[in-house]
Parts: sequence; structure tokens; C-alpha cells
Amino acid sequence: MTVHPKKSPRENIAALRSDRRVYFTNTGPRDTGQSDFKNRHTLYDLIRLAPFYNRSGYFSIENHGGARFHQNLLQNMTDPFEEAILWKERMPDVMTQTLVRSTNLWGYRMYPRNVIRLSVKAFLPTVDVWRCFDFLNYVPNMIPIAEEVMKGGKLFQPAISFGVSQDCTDAYYRKLTDEILKVTGGTNEIILCIKDMAGVGSPKRVARLTDVLLQKYPDLVIQYHRHATDGLAVPALAAAAKAGVKILDVTDDPFTRYYGHAPVRSVQALLQEMGIATSLDLPMADKAAETVTGFIGHYREFESQFHGFSYKVTEHRMPGGAFPSSFEQAAKGGFLSLMPQILRGMSNGNRFIKYFDVTPGSQITWTTWAGIVQYHYKEGGLKQVEDLLDLCERFIAQGQSFDALKPEEKESLLGLYARATDDLKNLLLGRYGPLPFGWPADWVYQSVFGDAWREKVARERFEESPLAQKPDEDVERARTELQKGIARHPTENELVLYMQHPGAAVDFIRFQTRFGNTTVLPTGIWFDGLKEFGSEAVFETHGKPNRIKLVSIGQDVDGVKHIVLSVNSTMHVFPVEMPSRKAAQKAGPRFADPAVPGRVASPIMGNVWRIGDKDRILKIGDIVKEGEEIMNIEAMKVETAVLSPMHGVIKEIAVKLNEAVVEKQLLMVLEDVPPEERKGSRTRSKNSRKAR
Amino acid sequence: MPDSKTKMIQKLFIANRGEIACRTIRTCRELGIRAVVGYSDCDALSYHVKIADEAVHLGPSPVKLSYMDIGKVVDAARRTGCEAVFPGYGFLSENAEFAQACRSAGLIFIGPTSDVIARMGDKIATKKALADAGVPIIPGLPRLKSADEIVAFGKEAGWPIIIKAVAGGGGRGMQRVDSADQAKSALERAVSIAEKLFGSGEVYAEKYIRGARHIEFQFIADAFGRVVHLGDRECSIQRRHQKLVEEAPSSLLDDRLRNEMGQVVVKAAKEIGYVTAGTLEFLVAPDRRYYAIEVNPRIQVEHTVTEMIVGLDIIRLMIRMAVGTPLRLRQEEIRIASHAIQCRVNAEDPKNDFAPSYGTVTYLRQVSGPFVRADSGIYQGCEVPPFYDSLVSKICSVGKDRPTAIERMRRALSEFTVWGIKTTIPLLEKIMVHPDFVEGRFDTDFIDDHLSGLLDYVEDEDEILKISRFIAEVTALGKNPYSQ
Repeated sequence: MTVHPKKSPRENIAALRSDRRVYFTNTGPRDTGQSDFKNRHTLYDLIRLAPFYNRSGYFSIENHGGARFHQNLLQNMTDPFEEAILWKERMPDVMTQTLVRSTNLWGYRMYPRNVIRLSVKAFLPTVDVWRCFDFLNYVPNMIPIAEEVMKGGKLFQPAISFGVSQDCTDAYYRKLTDEILKVTGGTNEIILCIKDMAGVGSPKRVARLTDVLLQKYPDLVIQYHRHATDGLAVPALAAAAKAGVKILDVTDDPFTRYYGHAPVRSVQALLQEMGIATSLDLPMADKAAETVTGFIGHYREFESQFHGFSYKVTEHRMPGGAFPSSFEQAAKGGFLSLMPQILRGMSNGNRFIKYFDVTPGSQITWTTWAGIVQYHYKEGGLKQVEDLLDLCERFIAQGQSFDALKPEEKESLLGLYARATDDLKNLLLGRYGPLPFGWPADWVYQSVFGDAWREKVARERFEESPLAQKPDEDVERARTELQKGIARHPTENELVLYMQHPGAAVDFIRFQTRFGNTTVLPTGIWFDGLKEFGSEAVFETHGKPNRIKLVSIGQDVDGVKHIVLSVNSTMHVFPVEMPSRKAAQKAGPRFADPAVPGRVASPIMGNVWRIGDKDRILKIGDIVKEGEEIMNIEAMKVETAVLSPMHGVIKEIAVKLNEAVVEKQLLMVLEDVPPEERKGSRTRSKNSRKAR
Repeated sequence: MPDSKTKMIQKLFIANRGEIACRTIRTCRELGIRAVVGYSDCDALSYHVKIADEAVHLGPSPVKLSYMDIGKVVDAARRTGCEAVFPGYGFLSENAEFAQACRSAGLIFIGPTSDVIARMGDKIATKKALADAGVPIIPGLPRLKSADEIVAFGKEAGWPIIIKAVAGGGGRGMQRVDSADQAKSALERAVSIAEKLFGSGEVYAEKYIRGARHIEFQFIADAFGRVVHLGDRECSIQRRHQKLVEEAPSSLLDDRLRNEMGQVVVKAAKEIGYVTAGTLEFLVAPDRRYYAIEVNPRIQVEHTVTEMIVGLDIIRLMIRMAVGTPLRLRQEEIRIASHAIQCRVNAEDPKNDFAPSYGTVTYLRQVSGPFVRADSGIYQGCEVPPFYDSLVSKICSVGKDRPTAIERMRRALSEFTVWGIKTTIPLLEKIMVHPDFVEGRFDTDFIDDHLSGLLDYVEDEDEILKISRFIAEVTALGKNPYSQ
């Protein structure tokens, strides 16, 4: 007896129980793609894995949900529905899986029950396994999703957010499991997932937790989800299987990097050596791996700025899924060099306010500490940051007591959360639900809300489920808004997209109206277009072959380039408005005065397509080294690097991205670096070298 | 087979452009007549020029300086050695002065005499002529002078009343008066519009027929007083009096009424002294009472549907009648055993209040396949200029009955693909599936009454064109701007 998407959840759970083999879930298309490649894999590439996945003996393929949903609308320009349908069609014999963030589903806010119902129902036909976690481990938040999924005949998989703090005891998780089984109907109805989203569970810890849960519920089917960040994923997964976990989260070997999941063949080999049989079909798994190897090179630029495992994750607990996006944000914001301090801050912060670092908690942690560290860095340089972090650590070492602190140190700590984001405030006011290990200490509230914090808490803090009090959303109003946005009647599916991500959904639908479904395009064409004259985009639509050939690229005339393509043997001219058009319409260019040092001039006439180098986008206030690439100008398909003439700080960027520039036009104004910032800039340059 | 008389014409000047010029060239080719066309500046590379045997530059693009400049057109016909002129529709086709100028220049004008054209251009005179021939006409007030007359007439004949320009046509500038208090302002509006559009403020009033259908009869007359009619056409699917869908025969008329009306038409044509082809237009009320409204002394856009069901080339007949060939056709020989529908593909954006849409036709897949006919004035790569009528193509389908013709029309429309300009194709597709249209329940207000539903379509731009646009954009920028 094996698992199959056509069987009922009960039948599949029974099949798993009676099967002595261990199963795998392949997280490649979703979670691994998110954790190590910013969810940039194209559907064109991923879907080529479907025929192999279909026959690899996997329990499920996680192809849906999490941040990929948003990323699909935002930058992949892929319809989450189309993606889900295609997977289902091409993999009829293996279960598809999504990840929902309890009441946030695939979005970033708490949805009322009617939106949850609408959204879950829309994806029920194409998604078989519904993994659901809550960053507060607050079970009432999961109930509306559980109801819809189970009513729809699909497998509900509640996840317990796993951590390694002193609060995350066996007793805590046993009690949590009691509660989950109580509301979901027991061990015949669900599979329980231990969600180790940061990758911190030691082999022993995971084995013991599995044992504790199986002692109490011998029939419970447990799945272990684990990221690889600490470097211990393979042994931890093996230990879990030995302790009785039935399903392990893994991915194809060539998908594996650092923040995603363990390589399936390594895990399988270790299990085999331990005498544990698996359901994996090895030749099929190898074919999938070959396919991944074939396309993975397209995504090099989306891999994280930092490569390598990090055992420190056991302290700062940043989840694998948040790693690359955080680094990217830091790189774009010009504070990549402060990452060590931010991570150190997070290691302290999770002792003050206790919840699990996974969406939306991970975003709250990230914005809070990126904000604190940057603020202090700007105010007093790296020293002030380090002093603050030292103080936090001392405070923790002293049992979080103010007694041994000097008055100015106390003041400093009370100012820690002075610039708290609304999300953090909402968290502390119980708007997401009660915190798993109680509300934080009074000083935290004082720091966030100021002197009037007591009244604020008394008046506004929810002590019960916030979802219960959330009124239904006006779906018809949303429909009208969307209709206005896209100038036609939206479909029900489009409405579901809009409910999750209003702005991104409207932009996405407009994109599709203008450009159609671009997921049929080969990945190279999708990212870079046609580069050589005579080169072709060859792809199929509805089984019909198409050939689009590049015939010519016109000169940029008044901000418009004419591209001539041979579209299925018919010539077409496409005028493309260049982003420089508006800029070009303005008054003439400013020229750099060569007599003034720090005035960077354009060496050629062309288009500014990058401000910074391939690792760092520059902005005003950033520090650059002499000889460092600070801009790149493209002319006639040739890229010309503009190098910094000095070690300096950027005072002005005189051009915009994609602006057309002429020779000698002023690009940037640099000034000498003030002495107090010199130390910081050295740290930065070291880090960015490492990232290369 | 060309008869001896048509051999009198070796060369024919077609004083028109677009699809009707192309359609006429085709008949000329069959008859062995060399077809000469004129063209304006913007039409230098137009389709009618490409397929003609010879072409003459008429002048700048505005119609008054080219296609409607009588002197230039007559001169062009003479200089190229043409024996005859075919005016088509629009432009100079209903211009008596032009017909006279042609004849004075020794050219055969393929149409009725200038006297008939002049009379049929004056609505009052037309009505009088029709009434004299015993044709029922709509009760009305000729030569309207004051609002008081309208009020009195409205009380007598019943509201609403419609005010029209004497020199007008095509429904332009009409004003509807629903009650006595509207009479004064509507009259002022009508006069002012008539002055602006037609150069004459003369207006008249008629009873407005509610729920009417627009049904017309095609007839053909020789120079010897023989007239036959070629049956009726249903032209009720129109917007602001511009026909969009025509069919033959009308599903409203039964054989008895059809025969009766046909006899009325033949009698009227005879009494008017009509030669060549013409059309008598009627409004038919829901009680099947019919009222003649006007005579079109020229070929009509929708002559095609008649051709499809009677198997006759109307333009060929017109040429023959114009050179004095006697009509050998007898009324009993006209047998109608099929149904034809025509859809007008206009370069317009129905969603933008039918605003003209001009530009380059970047891709064109013409209609083909069994039981359809396409008369088109465009080709892939051509420019649709902003100066002229927006009609770019006519699609006809024919079948043993109306449902079959509708099915074939849907198929043809779904295949017809035009990129680069907006067209009425998606609207026509909506009409072809509208239950009221399919079941024959409509009147001349059909489009206005159902407009929001008919416009509720998604512009079906070709997927590959869209994707190509995307590739072009990424290629121009060197990088995908959306994935950054």
C-alpha cells in the first residue's frame, strides 16, 4: 500500500503507517528555491522536473505557497493558479504541497474567515497537502484553514514551529500536539510536521522530541522539515527517521546550497547504511537531479550574497527562507557590512521578545534589528553598535535585571525599541495572537510605547484570539477595486490573487494583458532577451511551435528603440520606450568639471544600466574605494565600467538607472570620507569582496 | 459573358478607394475591362492602387482635395482614356453634379441619371416621388419652419417625432423629440447641425416608429423600363444609423409581405425612371406596417449579401445597364433558397465610443474557407489612414438557413486576425452569439439597448504578439526589467 493523490487523507495516513519505508518530500520547487535562489526559478525550468518527480516515489512535492506566491506575482510574472494547475497535470501520481502561514495564508496580513475560505477553496483542486504553521504556535489561528482543507478532502498538515531555546521543552511541544490533535480530530486525520525552519535541531534533540510525541501518540505520522543552515541537516534527518519520523523534507542534490534542504541522495544513502528503507526511486531521482544541473546555472546571480553554512543560526535563528531576501535587502540598502551586527542583535532580541522566527515573525525580527543597528551605526558608528550589543549581552547574562546596570545603560536599553515598527507594536498588542511563552517584560513595553505603555496595554492588548473578532471582508468591494485596476471583470481566481497581494496582483494582471503568458519562454530569453542578431526564441504554445528571431535593434532615438523581430516568419517592428525617455525630454545634460576632484564623468555615450557593481547597488551616502566599479554604461551591447577615481563617499548620483548619457556627462559626485566612517568602510569592503 | 455593349468599355475609372474599389476591380477583371483608380497622397500604397491596372494621383489626402474633387476625378478618367466612371458609395456617388460632369465629359456614369440622383438626394422630393408612386411613407412635415408645427404634428401623429436635415443622410444630425416641451430646443439643434454638416439648415419632421426594423430592397433597372427586385436585406443592426451587420433575407418578412413590398419597389423604380441598381429603404413597424424612407441611387456596402443568395454580380449588372444592355432577367427567375450575413469590420475601437483607429496593419490573417467571402481593402503592412471611412473589410457567410450562416460567420470572425489597429471584430463576435440576435428579436436600437453587454469582451490580442512585445522590450533594455 502506497500513498497516492487519489486516495483520501485517512487512506494515505494508514498507508504511511503500514509502510515500513521512510518517505520524502521534495521542497526544491518552493522552499529550497526560496531559501537559496530567492524563488526566481522559472516555471519553464521547474516544470521539466514534473515527469521525474511523478515517478520518484516521493510522498509529495512542495511546489506552492510561502513567498513563491508573492514572488510569482511580483517578479516571476507567473500566475500562481496556472503554476499549480500545470504541476497537477504533469504530476498526477504524486501529491502536490503548499505552505500556508496560518491566517496570513500566502500574504502578509491576517485574513478574516471569509477570505481564508475563498482562497483555500480556490486552490483545493490543485493542492493535495496543506502544511500550515503559525509563528506563535497559536492553534486557534490554524482552525479556519484546517476546516476548509479537511472539508475539501485534502490532507491537512499542521506544523509545530520548532526552536531550541530553553522554553522549547518537550512538555511545551507535547502540550501543543495535544491541542492540535484535539482540534483536528486525531492521529487518523492529520500528519504532524516538526518545522525546523532555521535548521537548528541537533540529531539528539530531534530524535528525543520525536520519541516524546510518539510515546504519547504511537499512531501519529510525523514529518520533519529541516533547513540545512547549521550544517547538521543530514545526520539530524537520519536521527529523526530512526526515531520514527515517517517523512523527511529533502531536495535534489544540485538544488542544495546552505539555507535550503538536505540532498536527497545523501540522506537516502545514510539511511540505507543505517538499515532504513526508503520509497525513493533512485534512477528517477537522478534524472531529476540531471535536469536541475542543466538549468541551475541561470540563477547564480540570485544566490545569497553569503555562501556557506553558519552554525551561529542556532543563536540568531534566522529562518532559511528569509536568508537570501535579507541579504539582498542589506546589499541594496548598502548595509551588507552590518550583517554580523544585525544577526548578533537578533540573537539578543529573541531573548527579550519570544516568538518563532518565521513569517511574519522573521520579518518583524529583521526589520526591527536591521533598523536598530543601522540607526546606531549612523549615529555613532560601529562602536556605538558594538557597545549596545555588548550591553544587551551583559544584561542577558545578568538574568535581564536592571539592578547591575548604570543609569545611562538603563536608559540606553529603554531606548532600544524607541523606533519600533507598527508590526512590532501590533505583535506586542496581541494582534497576531498571544505570544507562545508569555508577554515580554515591562521594560520592553516601556521601550516600545513610551511612558504611557501601561494604559496602552490595558486598553488595546488582545488576550484572546484576534481572528475571532475580525469581521469578514467586503469581497464585492475588492472585486470593484480590482475591476477598476485592470479595466475589465476579474475572474474569481484573479480576485483570490488580489485578496493576497492587491498591488502586486493588479500589476501582474496588467503585465499579462500587455505581454501575455511569458512562462512559455526559455529561461535565458526571460532574463536577458535575444542578444545576437539572428538568434531565436523557440517555444511552444498549446503544442504549436513558435520561432521569434531578432532581426535588428534600432538606435535609441528620443528614448525609443525599434526592435525588429521575425515573429513566426512575419516581420514586426516593436517600438520600445526606454526608461531614459522622460529624462531625455528634460533640459540638456550636466557635464562634469574635470578640474574639480570627485566629479565622475561618463567615458562614453550610452545607457546607465547599473549604478554600483554586480554585488552592490550604490546610493547616496555609500562609501566607495578607489578603482571600484561604481557604474556601468552600455552602448551597442558593450558594457563599460566606470571606476571610482578616489576613496570617497557618494554625495550625489546625477543620473538615473537606465538613463541615456552622453560623453563627459556628470554621473556622480564624490567627497572625501569623514574620519569616523573610515573603519566602517573597511569592514564593508572586506565583506563585499567575500561575497564575490 | 461580356455582351457586345459592355465591350464599349475598355477602361473603367473607379472613383473610390478601399474595399469597394477592390471589389469593383475584380468584376472589371472578369469582364476584361482595365480598371483605373485614383489615389490621394496617403493612399499611394493602398490596396486598391496595388491591384488596379493603372492609377492616377488625385491630390492631397483630405477628400475635398482628392476623391471629392469633381474636376480632378473627371480629368483623371479622361486622361487615362476611360470610357466610364464607377462612383462606388460615399464620396461623389450621390452627387448629381458629378454624374452630369461625367456625362458632359463624354464618360458613361455607372448609376442613375443626374436628375434621379438630384431628386433622391432631396428627401422631400424623394418622399413626394415615392408617395406619388403609391409607396407608403412615414407621416411627416415637409419644410419645417417652427416649433409650433412640431407640437401640432406630434399631437396628431403621436410622439416621438424625429427631425432630419433635408440634405442629410446616414442618420447624421437627427434629433428625437419626445414631447412638446422639447420641440423648440430640438429644432434649434437640428437646424444648427444641418447647417454645419450639410451646408443647409433646411429640416423636416417625421413620426418616429418605435421598435422598427430597417429593411431594404435591392432592385435593378435597365434603360428600357424593365425593373426586377433582388429581394430584401435586413439592416437593423446599426449604431447611430451606421449599419454593422446585414443579412438577407430578413427573418421578419413572410413571402406574402415580401412579394407585396417587392411589387411596390418595382413600381416605384419604374415611376422614378431609375436606371442601374438602387435600393429602397423601409422602416417596418412591429405590426409589419412598412414605410419607405429613402432611395439609395448607388451601390450599397451590403449589396454582397444579396449577391450571395441570388447568385448575381450586382456591379456587373450595373455596368451592363449603364451601357444600355437590356435586362433579360425576369422576376420569377430570382429564387432565394439560402441565407447570407455580412459583418462590417471597421477600424474603430468600440470600447472607446467607436473612435476611429488608424495606423499600420502589422499582421493580417484574412478569412477563408467554405461558404465565406471577404471583401477587403487592407493587406498586411498597409496603413489605415485617418481621412476616410473606417470600413476596412466585409465578411459574408452563406448557408441554407440563418442558423447555418450565423455559425459560419462565427467561425470566420474567429479566424480573422488584424493586428495594429482596433476593429469591430470582437463586438461582431458578441453580436453573433447574443441570444436576441440569434433568435431574430431585435430592432434598430439593438446595439444601443445592449451596448454594455456587447462591449463586455476582452480584446483578444494574439498571445504570440504579446510575448514578442515582451521579448522586444527585454532585448531593447538588455535585461528583464520586471525580474529585477
